[in-house]
Amino acid sequence: MKLLKPSWVNHNGKPIFSVDIHPDGTKFATGGQGEDSGKVVIWNMAPVLREEDEKNENIPKLLCQMDNHLACVNCVRWSNNGLYLASGGDDKLVMVWKRAAFIGPSTVFGSSSKLANVEQWRCVMILRNHTGDVMDVAWSPHDVWLASCSVDNTIVIWNARKFPEIVMTLKGHTGLVKGLTWDPVGKYIASQADDHSLKVWRTMDWQMETNITKPFSECGGTTHVLRLSWSPDGQYLVSAHAMNNSGPTAQIIERDGWKTNMDFVGHRKAVTVVKFNPKIFKKKQKNGSTPKPSCPYCCCAVGSKDRSLSVWLTSLKRPLVVIHDLFDKSIMDITWTLNGLGLLVCSMDGTVAFLDFSQDELGDPLNEEEKNAIHQNIYGKSLAITMESHLSSTIIENPEMLKYQQERQGNQNPNGAQGSGPENQTPKLTNVLNGESLEDIRKNLLKKQVETRTADGRRRITPLCIAQLDTGGPAAVNSIGMKSNLLLTSASKMEPMKALDSRFTERSKATPGVTSVPLTIGITPLDRVKDSSSVKEPKVKDETSSDSEDKIMAKPLSMAKRKGEMEGAEVVEKRKKGRPRKDAKMMMPISQPFPQVTFLLWKTTVSKSTNRACSDLQLIIKTRTKIHKTTDAIAYLEVENEVSVVSGARLSQLKWSRDGREWDTLLTSRITIATGSSDIVAVACEDRTLSVFTTCGRRLIPSIMLPAPLAALHCSGHFVMVLMASATLSVWDVQKQTALVKNESLNPILSGTDATVSQSFLTQQGVAVVSLSNGKTYCFNSSLETWNLIADKQDSLVQCADFRNCLTSQDALGSMGPLALTQGRNLSAGRLASRLSSTPHHLQQGMTLAFLENQLSSALMLLSASEYRHWLLIYARFLVNEGYEMRLRELCQDLLGPVHKSSSSSWEPTVLGLRKRDLLTEVLPVIGQNLRFQRLFTEYQDQLELLRLK
Amino acid sequence: MAKVQVLNVAVLDNPSPFGNPFQFEITFECMEDLPEDLEWKIIYVGSAESEEYDQVLDSVLVGPVPAGRHMFVFQADAPNTGLIPESDAVGVTVVLITCTYRGQEFIRIGYYVNNEYTDPELRENPPVKPNYTQLQRNILASNPRVTRFHINWEATLDKMEDSENVDPAPNTMLPPTSMPSKAPPLGLMPDNSMDCL
Repeated sequence: MKLLKPSWVNHNGKPIFSVDIHPDGTKFATGGQGEDSGKVVIWNMAPVLREEDEKNENIPKLLCQMDNHLACVNCVRWSNNGLYLASGGDDKLVMVWKRAAFIGPSTVFGSSSKLANVEQWRCVMILRNHTGDVMDVAWSPHDVWLASCSVDNTIVIWNARKFPEIVMTLKGHTGLVKGLTWDPVGKYIASQADDHSLKVWRTMDWQMETNITKPFSECGGTTHVLRLSWSPDGQYLVSAHAMNNSGPTAQIIERDGWKTNMDFVGHRKAVTVVKFNPKIFKKKQKNGSTPKPSCPYCCCAVGSKDRSLSVWLTSLKRPLVVIHDLFDKSIMDITWTLNGLGLLVCSMDGTVAFLDFSQDELGDPLNEEEKNAIHQNIYGKSLAITMESHLSSTIIENPEMLKYQQERQGNQNPNGAQGSGPENQTPKLTNVLNGESLEDIRKNLLKKQVETRTADGRRRITPLCIAQLDTGGPAAVNSIGMKSNLLLTSASKMEPMKALDSRFTERSKATPGVTSVPLTIGITPLDRVKDSSSVKEPKVKDETSSDSEDKIMAKPLSMAKRKGEMEGAEVVEKRKKGRPRKDAKMMMPISQPFPQVTFLLWKTTVSKSTNRACSDLQLIIKTRTKIHKTTDAIAYLEVENEVSVVSGARLSQLKWSRDGREWDTLLTSRITIATGSSDIVAVACEDRTLSVFTTCGRRLIPSIMLPAPLAALHCSGHFVMVLMASATLSVWDVQKQTALVKNESLNPILSGTDATVSQSFLTQQGVAVVSLSNGKTYCFNSSLETWNLIADKQDSLVQCADFRNCLTSQDALGSMGPLALTQGRNLSAGRLASRLSSTPHHLQQGMTLAFLENQLSSALMLLSASEYRHWLLIYARFLVNEGYEMRLRELCQDLLGPVHKSSSSSWEPTVLGLRKRDLLTEVLPVIGQNLRFQRLFTEYQDQLELLRLK
Repeated sequence: MAKVQVLNVAVLDNPSPFGNPFQFEITFECMEDLPEDLEWKIIYVGSAESEEYDQVLDSVLVGPVPAGRHMFVFQADAPNTGLIPESDAVGVTVVLITCTYRGQEFIRIGYYVNNEYTDPELRENPPVKPNYTQLQRNILASNPRVTRFHINWEATLDKMEDSENVDPAPNTMLPPTSMPSKAPPLGLMPDNSMDCL
């Protein structure tokens, strides 16, 4: 091991709080205190690594320094792709830096240091949300999120692809949060705070996974930071400052069950920072010795307030090395080089140290493939980040493929629009400059610039825009070098300067408009205006809120509509139990997913043994039902039994009204159930007859005699479904006057269970759906003449399937249709999956696959085209993500069909009215996102193109 | 963080006769579109002894300022010689360029200026009453002194919440009615409340 303290890495003696090596290993960043501000400095790594580079004056050491933070910088972190640097400081801000293209070396204007900034890094985003000092920042794997934690006790998760969008604020800590680390697998983020706790949060729902307090309960005093770290294999999380037997430790927390049985012991004071080596190692094979399989291990560096550093291998019980008195003050941050052999440490004393290990000391680092294999073993999947780097070397063979890949990269690249690819920028620049060189512009600037007078007679200059943000040609800075060679010498002349010097820094009091008093006056009226406007605002808000209340009123209706029959039916049943009193007039605002409403006037239990109609009911006499067709047209169905008695016969009246149009009709028996759809109205009477009317009140068919008392009646479109108390089901198409389902017994689904029918409905396509009290839902397929299970609340597949990453933002809203209705809200992707983190990935993968295929076939069975398309796309995305080539090929083949028409082919060009080839056109871009399938993509793209030309 | 960074100031027409207008070519960069104009001023310090003799040579509004890099030439007439104490006319003084946004000064660029007679005769025996026509103004362009001030770049209402950017002076001067009723100003909190060692 070699140890080096590069003295040139310093902040002029001010503390250095953070250090991070760039992923490409060529530079590193430090953050800390500047003169009167926070300071971020980017340094060249080469002079640290090689002595000859350090001595070579042509090799710059300092690449760029940024004084933009107003107060001390506590943390600097490079994004995994190396494009961005994030810094967080006591000024409560997180700044995101990006290297500006096309700008050569320049000094900070007016800065005393003559050191040129070799690289130009500029702040592209300021993230404001924290109300206290930002202590740590961390990029998630793949740079999807950026997390920052603060002394305001919160952790903010920023959307790194859409700054400054906040994904979530994690609240729960009751003390200053001083360290963050992402799980390399991407499932969790862990935080450690002064409140004697370490919390692990799930990235799935941003809820707390576990709260570990025991090892920290004894912790006294404070450390400036608590930088914890997750091992590269994801199996261990190591905390900063913990206590065991009143000795300071770094607590090891196992991923499996969050057990806290082990710790790193030995430091004399609190551990401030723990950092895992990014590599996984295996024992170095010595020459001659028989190669025996050894367990891979990790390496971890621990820094403490006791100013010492220890490096541990998980395969050894004692530290590999302990270095005492490396610094004069506490160690603040540690970073490893990507190859795992180098280590930079920084300290509060304002110095950094570099440790260089050899492979003999640490072992053989596993290459990416081997590391992947380990991940594959543990989690069933290799981490995509390594996959992607693997794939990036693949040649893209197809231009369409390239397009999708580029689109994808474009999406991944935050501020993609401002991406500073040379191709993008050069034309922009010349555009701005109109082909003129900057020198030409400068010559004529005074003449050319637009100067106007404001209303009050002041000069106003419109500045000439010479570059868009974050570009700026090399000429811009280089040519505006200060070329004047003026010398001011003569000591006598220097004397009055002392008096003058103060004028440089003090804001002149004599300058009108700058003095504080006029300033206040200047501001006050403004504030007044603002005040009055803020008084007005609430009023406006009130108005809008009342407005939105209306909207909210409207919403539950439509929501209820979507939520569907399940709830609707429950409402109905509750009403029934209430047994409305005789003559009570009821208005039932029931909204339903489909333009139909069933109003049951009594409860009939349908079970296999039931044969009796529950006639224990008090008859309801008059009732009114709302049928929502659409939001704009509401139809009411009103039933009044015993409206009049004519020669001993009791007449019942059915009234229908919508938009002022209404009709009524009389029936000779008491009405038990009335329901309607957009096309028809169906009414069942006590005498087991069923009558069907058009929405104009014309009787469509003579009364149908039902074989048994009616339990449920549904209408949808021109379909009527009846569920008899004898547990049989019929569905008719009253327009075509055909039976779709004829007295089909429910025995196949009811037998062997104690379940009863809890709910039933009819889809718009005339598919009967029956839900049982045991949580299973079936539909009857009239062509197969079978009952098919389409949903099961107890189905573990539903609960374990995890296809979240296959959902696009539109998909996340969920699909609307009968399938969604039956499955209800309990279908949230992988809700349980998160709790089953220990489930091997391949098992979950299998469950998800099975689930998605179930969904697809169920949607098909229910004739629900929109849902079929929805699940097909998710399915395709899942196959693409997980790499199921065979299934993907089969899917594409089915969608494409035979390219050449042959009479023997039984291929249907459409499915549920959707053209299969259109679906394939939608699926192909999904396939195009994974380079591995580029052959498949090309194959089907070409064939589809061929067919299109035909 | 300041939304406007001055990248460079080039001193044009330098050295030049005392009576020539000042010309500064200013290049600045703006992080985001500014809803209001920037106000630039050139201040000539007549005497090191007192601010009384400061002259605002000119002030100019610059705008609109969209995000990006911009440049303009700020030209202002030479100082009124009548306002300069005769004893200070020859020798070293200072010229200041200031920029304010929403009435708050955020940058001050100062240059030493040396006023000298070009004629060796006059240099040796300067007249009691300065001969301004013979004076040459020489701005030490290679050594600008830049002072930056933290100001609040947002609208004035945000000022209250956003205390880190607020210049404390105007804040305390605000009438009590416009002070937020909640929480004491955050600016009162120590910069770093943590015990570091």
